Amino acid sequence: MALRDGTAAQALIDVRDVWKQYGPVAVLKGVSITLAPGQIHALLGGNGAGKSTLMKAIAGLVVPNSGSIAIAGTLLDRPSAARAQRLGLYLVPQEAHIFGSQSVLENICMGLDKPAARLRGRVEALVAQLAVSLDLDAQAATLEIADRQIVEILRGLIREARALILDEPTSALTPHEVEALFARMRALAASGVGIFFISHKLREIREICHDISVLRDGAIVLSGPMSAHTDAEIVTAMTRVAAPVAVDLSTAPAAAPAPGSERRLEVERLSGEGFSEVSFSLAAGEIVGLAGVVGAGRTELAETIFGLRPTLSGAVRLGGAPLENRSPSVCIDRGLVYLPEDRQQFGLFLDAPLDWNASAYLMHKMPFFLRPRDEARRFERFRSAMGIKCESHLQPARRLSGGNQQKVLLAKCLAADPQVLILDEPTRGVDVAARNDIYALIRSLAAQGVAILLISSDFDEIVQLSDRVLVMAFGALEGELPRGASVDAIGGLAFGAREAADA
Amino acid sequence: MLELFARNRVATLFVITLLTFGAIGLAAPGFLSASTLATVMANSLVLMLVSFGTMLVIITRNIDVSSGSVLGLSAAVLGLSLNAGIALPLAIGICIGVGALAGAFNGLLVAGFGVPSIVATLGTLGLYRGLMLSLTGGRWIEALPQSIKALAANLGWGGSVLTLIVLGVFLILWLFLRMTRQGGYFFATGDNREAARHLGIPVRSIVFSAFVGAGACAALAGVVFAAQIGFIPNQAGNGIELKAIAANVLGGVSLLGGVGSAVGVFISVIFLTAIDSALVFLRIPAFWNDFIAGAILLTVLVLDGRVRMAVDRRIRAKRYASHHGAERTKSPSRPSATAAPAIPTPHTAPEAGR
Amino acid sequence: MKRFVLRWEAALVGLLVLEFIVFGAINPRFLNPSNLLYGTSDFVHIGIIALPLTLVIISGGIDVSFASLVGLCAIVFGVANFFGVPLPLAIAMALAAGVLAGAFNAAIIHFSRIQPLVVTLGSLYLFGGAATVLSGAVGAGGYEGIGNFPAAFTSFGYLEIFGVPAILILFLMLAALFAVLLHLTRFGRAVYLVGQSPDASRYSGLPVGRVQAATYLLTGLCAAIAGLVLSSYFGSARVDLGTATLLPAITAVVLGGASIYGGQGSLVGTILAVFVIGFLQQGLQMAGVPSQVSSALSGGLLVVVVALRHGSAMLPNLIAAGQKAMTARPRRFVEEKTND
Repeated sequence: MALRDGTAAQALIDVRDVWKQYGPVAVLKGVSITLAPGQIHALLGGNGAGKSTLMKAIAGLVVPNSGSIAIAGTLLDRPSAARAQRLGLYLVPQEAHIFGSQSVLENICMGLDKPAARLRGRVEALVAQLAVSLDLDAQAATLEIADRQIVEILRGLIREARALILDEPTSALTPHEVEALFARMRALAASGVGIFFISHKLREIREICHDISVLRDGAIVLSGPMSAHTDAEIVTAMTRVAAPVAVDLSTAPAAAPAPGSERRLEVERLSGEGFSEVSFSLAAGEIVGLAGVVGAGRTELAETIFGLRPTLSGAVRLGGAPLENRSPSVCIDRGLVYLPEDRQQFGLFLDAPLDWNASAYLMHKMPFFLRPRDEARRFERFRSAMGIKCESHLQPARRLSGGNQQKVLLAKCLAADPQVLILDEPTRGVDVAARNDIYALIRSLAAQGVAILLISSDFDEIVQLSDRVLVMAFGALEGELPRGASVDAIGGLAFGAREAADA
Repeated sequence: MLELFARNRVATLFVITLLTFGAIGLAAPGFLSASTLATVMANSLVLMLVSFGTMLVIITRNIDVSSGSVLGLSAAVLGLSLNAGIALPLAIGICIGVGALAGAFNGLLVAGFGVPSIVATLGTLGLYRGLMLSLTGGRWIEALPQSIKALAANLGWGGSVLTLIVLGVFLILWLFLRMTRQGGYFFATGDNREAARHLGIPVRSIVFSAFVGAGACAALAGVVFAAQIGFIPNQAGNGIELKAIAANVLGGVSLLGGVGSAVGVFISVIFLTAIDSALVFLRIPAFWNDFIAGAILLTVLVLDGRVRMAVDRRIRAKRYASHHGAERTKSPSRPSATAAPAIPTPHTAPEAGR
Repeated sequence: MKRFVLRWEAALVGLLVLEFIVFGAINPRFLNPSNLLYGTSDFVHIGIIALPLTLVIISGGIDVSFASLVGLCAIVFGVANFFGVPLPLAIAMALAAGVLAGAFNAAIIHFSRIQPLVVTLGSLYLFGGAATVLSGAVGAGGYEGIGNFPAAFTSFGYLEIFGVPAILILFLMLAALFAVLLHLTRFGRAVYLVGQSPDASRYSGLPVGRVQAATYLLTGLCAAIAGLVLSSYFGSARVDLGTATLLPAITAVVLGGASIYGGQGSLVGTILAVFVIGFLQQGLQMAGVPSQVSSALSGGLLVVVVALRHGSAMLPNLIAAGQKAMTARPRRFVEEKTND
């Protein structure tokens, strides 16, 4: 980003050499980036690349370890959200911050000098400009995700911010709403507002952005005008780290299951919260990928199978016998184990020692008087087999890196000796080395006869590991693809473009 | 119907209070008189003030169990100042200052040091009570000058100067919470602390000032207490903190923060005090008081909890139903909108939250 | 985590030793063994309640209703005795009342999903009211209490076994039982896990509701035991027997290292904290400090200790922020105008 140095005085946002460490992990490694008035600047990067941290640092919500951030020429030396906002910056977060018990109007105007009632006219005008329908008097807790996002965008607009950061604003919007938002963004840019636009959708970025920067592993690896880079270049820049994994495929490709081998898990016309009429089956030793974008209903499906959410209709059979009155403990007992998507909230006991975590799925099988030595030995076995890096089994899980935490979570699942394993985003936020270890582990489990359902948003991962691929979109199974299906074919189905799959 | 009840907590409580008054009036003629009302109002003043202060703290999603001791401590300071010959207005000023200072110490512990509010105020509950007792040497403060007792005298319409003061506090609090920007900050802080921080609201100062306000309110309650009783016993204010929390909960102030109104607390304090007076009229022995208060509180809580669960379930069902319907109808138009993405996006998942 | 807890318990032992040294220096009679042993009878009932309360708090809950439940169970015993129920049966009735009351709390918390603090606050009044009503029913009225217990019962309060008060032995036995339950059994593990993350517990198939309910039941049971012990010690059952235990019991648990947010704490810590608080009161009294002031000091102790613990946890962050402020270089940018 050195090219913008000459115009630094006029830059709305000028970030120089910012470092941020969380414990031993550096999330930002000397990032420099600028935003000029009227510029719409795309920011891309994979999971854990550091985009969110960078944006939070600019918004004053995260204090960098070193480096400087200036907004409209003023150094943000004592970072706080209030200061950044006074300087004319507003961050529209990925997940809207909502005051559930207040009205929509109060939510939008919270923190402004004038009372909400007097701003009503201006808010209504903005709502009309955005071409959305929004009941300003509704209680905010009842809003849908898309409407919550609109509330956040309105917050930025009513503050007349000179610099906006939009963190994946379109992920929950309908195409019509996206068009209206883009029109609004163009108008804002024309009036001199600068916008950082974070998105995963290249097509949208091409449509709206002037410049692009790609963040990978805490550093900027590509930046410049949008027109100067091809899609292929951008994707390569973004995923270069993940590429070596593909080589790993040759080492141990899973054997295709023998025809007619035992059906381990059968799901028949299952409907639940957020999905309907889903049917599929898993055979022993088979890895079946379940692809789809966020919100397609994959996690809801997995949690319904595992008995965490109510079943509306349909049936699940495990090893040929019906699995009724499902609850996690019943499922674990019968050999069905689920690895949750959010390991920090649902998977691990972050403040408990590692051996407690590894034994958590076995709690109801343990004797009344615990045998700590057995637990320590069990953990030690997994530690050495999976290469978990830790000081001792007494260490709390919170202090491990993401990859090692994920391995501990896998150890917890494997300790229950599963016949069927549902893995929900098993490599999210995991570094490359640990990712390879986890892939090898998944393959060896399948080789030992475990039936595996692999849920992932990373279609490369799905292609590399799966024997078959199921694609889910909008709460239904959109189709099944054989082993070796291309990433494009999966993407086409997952985004709802059937013709792409035919191509 | 359920939503109506859930949304109009205060109105519901008001109707219940009216019905209760009516029912008691039917059972015990003579209850519905101006003099009973005046008595109920006068008896509720101390609890009213303490409850208002506690409400400020609860709205920010904290709790204050030290208010009974703050009341005792500041009342003792008031009594000692008066008996030392300090003029009434100055003595009251000192008293409220002490209360605010005690509240500020609570606020410092909670907002400054990050001590959980229940633990911090549990500690200061003992601390302030001990301070009070070491100030008074464990003796009751008696023979307060007539000037302070005069504050409680009937002004001819059933109320006293104290009643006017409490009504004034009520009005100011109501206006502050409903009409001002800072008032909104209290609700925002308690509703969603992270969101409040995101919008640049000074979350820590808000929590701090809530505790200062609670201390000042408790001190004012101490003034009322001293004026009404005419002396200050060792146990002045003992246990009132729990009553105040109960009154808040009954008045629709959510312990999860962000919800509540001065009107609700006002009505609920009147309701709780009226029950006590009604027992006398109904010739029910006084030892039923606590049992009835507890039973009412628990019944309201359970009803409230069940209603909230039902509403939540309905919202959830609606969300998934509409999600389904909407997505299904949308999906045919989808292919044209996203016609064959040129490059598949390998990482569609949002970044894991840090 | 384990290491931290151990260090905390060591700090409590240090505090206890410090008390012995200071109070022994002020008044050598304080260190008289029989004096120390007998002194425990004044606060052991607090410990009896603090034991199950530790479990409640570690599992992420809180209970304040025990303060009136102690009185209710004592009154149940007193009323049963008044109507000539044989002693063992009367004791069993009191214990059953405690367990039922605990089940009542657990059921309301489970079915209404309201915060435990609010629910048990309501039942604090309900149980207290029920005790007053019951004692009124047998004409004992107000607060004078129900007496006339069999000699076998009242003598327990002053019974000695090998020179050690029986009440203290009862407490130590209960303490050992609870320590084993919390630290060595599957149930105790579940208490920790449920307190650390109810979500992860649910996803791991742990019976979250049942574990929490059990902790409230145990609190009810121990409140009943404390009520019986106090009745025996004072020779009468009174409504307000337990009101003064509310704060000391919670203080003991928090001072013992339990996190009010759940998931952390230890029984050994609670037991040590009970003695720290108890001997502090006693020592201050023997040093001639009025009892009112000693209650202030134990409140102050809680505040200081907890503030120190939270303060020390925040210290590294503060230092980092300070260093950041020092190294922030006001380079070529325009310095911020102070317009706020």
